[in-house]
Amino acid sequence: MGFDLQFGWTGTVSEVVLGRTRAEGGTRSVSYRIGGGTTLPFLDTDRPSPSPLIAFECCDNPRIWSTIVRDYCGDLVNDPAEWAKTAETVYGADMVRLNLTSTKERNFSDVAALKKTVESVLSATTLPLIIEGSNEPKIDSEVFLACGEAGQGERLLLGTAEASRYRSIAAAALAYDHSVIAQSPIDINLAKQLNILLREIGVARDHIIIDPYTGALGYGFEYSFSAMERIRFSALKGDADLAMPMCCAPADSLTIKEVRDAPADARDEMAVQWEVYTSIAAAVAGAEIICVRHPRSVGVLKEAFAGLKSHSHSRTAEVR
Amino acid sequence: MALKALDIYKLLPKKNCKECGDPTCLTFAMKLAGGKADVDLCPYLDDEAKAVLGATTRPPIRRVKIGVGERAFGVGEEFVLYRHEKTFYHPPGILFKVSDTQSADEITQVTIRVRDESFTRVGTKLQFNGIAIENASGSKESFARAVATVEESADLPLVLISENPEALALALVQVGTYRPLIHAATQDNYKAMCALAKKHGCPMVIKADSLEGLVSLVKDCAAEGIQKLVIDVSPQTLGDFLVKSTAARQLAITRKVPELGYPVFLDTTKTGMQDAAIALGIVKYASVIVTNPLSPAQTKAALTLRQNIYTDPQKPIQMNPGLYRIGSPGKDAPVLMTVNFSLTFFTLEGYLESTRIPCFMLIVDTEGLSVLTSVAAGKLNETLVRDSLKKFGVENEVTHRNLIIPGYAAPLSGRIEEATGWKVMVGPRDAAEIGEYLYTEWKK
Ligand code: B12
Ligand code: SF4
Repeated sequence: MGFDLQFGWTGTVSEVVLGRTRAEGGTRSVSYRIGGGTTLPFLDTDRPSPSPLIAFECCDNPRIWSTIVRDYCGDLVNDPAEWAKTAETVYGADMVRLNLTSTKERNFSDVAALKKTVESVLSATTLPLIIEGSNEPKIDSEVFLACGEAGQGERLLLGTAEASRYRSIAAAALAYDHSVIAQSPIDINLAKQLNILLREIGVARDHIIIDPYTGALGYGFEYSFSAMERIRFSALKGDADLAMPMCCAPADSLTIKEVRDAPADARDEMAVQWEVYTSIAAAVAGAEIICVRHPRSVGVLKEAFAGLKSHSHSRTAEVR
Repeated sequence: MALKALDIYKLLPKKNCKECGDPTCLTFAMKLAGGKADVDLCPYLDDEAKAVLGATTRPPIRRVKIGVGERAFGVGEEFVLYRHEKTFYHPPGILFKVSDTQSADEITQVTIRVRDESFTRVGTKLQFNGIAIENASGSKESFARAVATVEESADLPLVLISENPEALALALVQVGTYRPLIHAATQDNYKAMCALAKKHGCPMVIKADSLEGLVSLVKDCAAEGIQKLVIDVSPQTLGDFLVKSTAARQLAITRKVPELGYPVFLDTTKTGMQDAAIALGIVKYASVIVTNPLSPAQTKAALTLRQNIYTDPQKPIQMNPGLYRIGSPGKDAPVLMTVNFSLTFFTLEGYLESTRIPCFMLIVDTEGLSVLTSVAAGKLNETLVRDSLKKFGVENEVTHRNLIIPGYAAPLSGRIEEATGWKVMVGPRDAAEIGEYLYTEWKK
């Protein structure tokens, strides 16, 4: 029929596995295989499009976390394990992204405590985890190794590798068979370069997630959207060094002017809408993992993705 | 295949009468060749020439204007599938929906909101575009009353939603001359609808379940002499909309199916997921978006996304570099340096205005890059600051020699001092703190 979409793509987005179930040697109740796309997101009419995964972000030291989220979540923010569990059982997230913000404290050195935190979060939730380690070259190596070890067998997604600091994280990923998030500042060429660097030191393509950096709506999203679309095209045109699934983390949303200046009774909704509008656009541009910080964003996005992926069929249980 | 300008010129009347809006037939031909004009603009073309030119020279997506007067908006006239290839030109109109089952007060409230509400981002006024009135009651009198109620409080672009030509006919008696968009012609009613569109000269939505159905309706309407069309793919789900709107756009811009070269209509209230549908419509080719009235948070997010997606990613919105004044600064007023990225300028300006301290803003030319980005790229440097101070004559405006720079430019402070001889004061990173900074650091 002449009215079908015709793109003539030849490439495929590579598949990446997140988490390991008991049967696979881990302890998660579910594992996800994302990627595998052969056209633009949600446009495959022959088979069910996968729903992007929604990762809820929590942290182990809420001091530098958004006050909006702190106010909304209450005491939970002081207990990462309980918080992660709530993300699974109450908020309905598909994954948990644990940000080890304690490493940002001046003179941080308690790596043993980090390990405990990761372990407690792993036992509190059955979901696959993203662990966001340190952001300080001096402690990176120790921190990532500790995380990697604590999550051995669980196929964690470790973040975040950047062109200027990727060795420590790659080493931990290689040692314990985890995957990594590779972030570059809204630039397709830099994204490709970083992936090549990672590959050269041994990280396999199916262990990399691209984070093209999400500028907040109104603060760079006009660039992020097109950077994501372009990365997806390159993948579909056959560039293996850009053919990894992408993630979107609109974390900047919670610090922008519109959200900060919103009247107290509308602040939550402003935060949610900012995350939701960004996330939906990003999912359409190609992001397959969406990381949000406001609990209320999770449900809204779930419903939206269910509507997007259906051309009228229902959700498939195991196959993601 | 696209025709060359000279081939097109040969087919034109060569009167050079300027009625098409171009000075000569040749310049008009050049526009046509670039897909920038519509053949219909020349009143003297014979039918044969029209037939040859029409299909190949008009923009792949026709331009359709909705409403009259100040708030009228044009949609369509897009050329690409992806905004990084060029840019998107005509942002979708977003219209609030009211129903003729609502009270006159409720309808008036929504109308006044759309008429008056706006907010400014990056120097641009953002607002909703009009009102869609639905004939939910089934009564043509109620519909006409609702339309009259809207019309009494505002001259806004309208969408009249009813598949009953009689109801539309009655409503059009009142607002027909304001070029409302009528919704919708279907396989069943198109003849009567075309007659209405023709009588009032208004644009019309055609609606069918499949693209094939739309193509046949386009042909039917063309046979009735109606070409100002908007298409409704009547999506079952968001995914269905995405597939159909993408296919329609692709087939139109490649000119494989020129009949699909019309702007796309999306009624988000039918999807059960307002926000997702609006976001999807904005990024994926909707030109007329109908929604229930939105909350303040939804409003800001939706209109900001629209602004972002319709901003050319190749060219950040820029300010002219120069010395700008906040209030009436005197010779001892502070001078604050920043970059010429519009977003940065307007953010800082907003906070400075609320401090009520008269001051100067020195805007240096970083080619539209933000502070952090231009520092990272090396575009913001001491030479640029020195040359800008000179070029804009800052030395003659103030008697002191103190320059406040953004917190994120702190690594440059020493070098700027050396290059300019001015004393550099490093301001806060966050412009929101500028008031406090000026009161504590400058005033002391
Ligand atoms: C959008 C964006 C881009 C866009 C450009 C947008 C633009 N027009 O500038 C693009 C995609 C092109 C881009 C490119 C690059 N980017 Co960029 N980009 C961003 C992003 C997401 C948002 C920037 C933005 O719009 N900020 C909003 C404006 C309003 O902020 P601002 O100008 O800084 O203004 C604020 C303050 O500085 C203050 N302020 C402003 N003026 C003044 C004046 C005074 C006196 C005071 C007191 C305060 C003050 O007030 C404002 C509000 O608080 C940031 C990440 C982020 N979250 O900031 C990265 C970011 C700035 N980019 C980064 C980088 C590295 C780059 C590149 C160098 C990458 C590369 N190697 O190519 C390039 C450079 C550009 C080039 N070579 O042409 C890094 C910078 C790293 C660093 N810390 O130095 C960042 C932080 C991303 C990251 N985390 O890696 N980028
Ligand atoms: S209106 Fe027609 S005849 Fe007149 S200048 Fe334009 S193209 Fe030529």
